[in-house]
Amino acid sequence: MSLTRRLIVCLDVDGGRVVKGTRFVGLRDMGDPVELATRYEAEGADEIVFLDISATHEGRGTTLELARRTAERLFIPLTIGGGIDSVEAMSAALRAGADKVGVNSAAVRRPQLITEGAARFGSQCVVASIDAKREGDGWRVYVAGGRTRTELDAVEWARECARLGAGEILLTSVDCDGARDGYDLALTSAVAHAVNVPVIASGGAGNAAHVRAALVEGRADAALVAGILHDGTTTVRALKDAMRAAGIPVREVAA
Amino acid sequence: MTLVTVFDYGAGNLHSLVKALVAPTRAVRVETDPAAAVRTDVLVLPGVGAFAPAAERLTSGREIMRDAILAGLPTLGICLGMQLLFDGSDEGTGDGLGVIPGRVTRLHATRLPQIGWNALEAVRDPVIEASGLDIAYYANSFACRPRDAAAVVAWSTHEGDRFPAAVRHGACVGVQFHPEKSSTPGVRFIEAFLEAAAAINSPTGIR
Repeated sequence: MSLTRRLIVCLDVDGGRVVKGTRFVGLRDMGDPVELATRYEAEGADEIVFLDISATHEGRGTTLELARRTAERLFIPLTIGGGIDSVEAMSAALRAGADKVGVNSAAVRRPQLITEGAARFGSQCVVASIDAKREGDGWRVYVAGGRTRTELDAVEWARECARLGAGEILLTSVDCDGARDGYDLALTSAVAHAVNVPVIASGGAGNAAHVRAALVEGRADAALVAGILHDGTTTVRALKDAMRAAGIPVREVAA
Repeated sequence: MTLVTVFDYGAGNLHSLVKALVAPTRAVRVETDPAAAVRTDVLVLPGVGAFAPAAERLTSGREIMRDAILAGLPTLGICLGMQLLFDGSDEGTGDGLGVIPGRVTRLHATRLPQIGWNALEAVRDPVIEASGLDIAYYANSFACRPRDAAAVVAWSTHEGDRFPAAVRHGACVGVQFHPEKSSTPGVRFIEAFLEAAAAINSPTGIR
C-alpha cells in the first residue's frame, strides 16, 4: 500500500459566501462555506481548499474569520489561497486554522516568498498555485485570477517553485476552468513529469471520467473539483466510487 | 478534570488540534515553556514546524520533559512531535528528547514531501485498534528510525520505504500522521488516547 490519490474540494469564497466562476467570470452564489466544507468531509472529501477571490482588505478579513469557524469543525486538511502576498499573510492564514497556504501572483512577483514560507512553516505548508494558459506548444503562466499574462513558461515555473521549496503544485488550466470539458491532461502530465512534489490538477472537471483521466493520463496526485459538486451535478461519494472502480487507490469512508 | 497541555514551539496552526482535544471533562492549555508544560495530566507535542527551531525551544526544559515522560507522563507526539521523542534528526541541528533511542532521517522516496492519506499496516496498539483508524493523513519528508523496532506499533509505506506510523514507550505514543486531520477515525484515536491516559494514575504525582 502507498499513498491514495486525493479528491480535493475547492470553495471559491467572497465575503464569507461560496461562489464559483465560469471561465473566471460570471460568479454565482452557492452557499455557506462552513456548512459545505463539513458536508464534503462527511461525504469523503480528502481535503478542502478555500480560494479567496475577495478584491478588498475587508473581504480578506472575512475569509480569515471564515477559516477560524471552519477549522473548529473540519478535521481534514484546509488550504487557503488567494491574495497571500507575504510571510505575515501566510502566518495569519495558518493561525486562523489553515494547514497550508496557496501562493500565486505574489510568488511570481517575488519568488523568495516560497522559500521564506517553507523555511518558517515547512514545505508541506506551502502550495504553489499556478494558473496556466495554452500558448503555442506550451503553456504560459497567468496571474491576477487568470487575467494577466506573464513571460513565464508554466512547466519551468512549476519546476522553479518546487526548487524554491513549495511542497505541492496546484495547477489550474485557465482554458479549461469552469468549462466542464475535462482537465488539461497534457499540461498536467507535463508538470507532473517535471517536478517531484505532488501535483493537484485543477480546472475543467465535468464528470467522474475527467477526474479519472487527470489522475491516470494526467498523472496528478490529486484532483480538485468545485462547481459540479456545489450545484449537485455529482457527489464526492460518486466520484470516489468511480475512482475506485477505475482501480485508483482511494481512501474509504464508512457510510 | 483532566488537564491536557499542548507544548507550543511557535510554528502555526494548533487550532484543530486544540479543538480535537477539548471536551467537558478536559481543560486544554497551550504552553511555551517546556519545564512548565510537564505540570499536567497529559502532554501533547504538536506536529507543525521544523526540527531545529523546535529542538531549540525544548532546550531549557529538555531533561525535565524527558524525565517526566520516562516517569510515565502520558504523552502524545504528532508528526514533528513524534520526531522530537528521538535523539536527533537529519532535518536540522539540536537534540531531541531521547525518550526513544534512534534518529530521524529523510524518507527514501522520489516524491517528497509525502502528502496525503496512507494506510496503517501491522497495527498492534490497543488505542489505534479501538479507534478504527486504518488510513491517516501525512505531511512529512522525514521519518523516525528507532534503534529497536519493538517500539513500533504501526507501520506505513511511502514508495519503497516502510517507516514507523506509530511508536509507543509506556504511556507515551508518537504518531507520524496527523490524527487531527484524519477525519472522524483520527479524532476517535485522540479521544481513545486521552481516555487511556485519564485511566492512568500518575504514580509520581507530577502535577
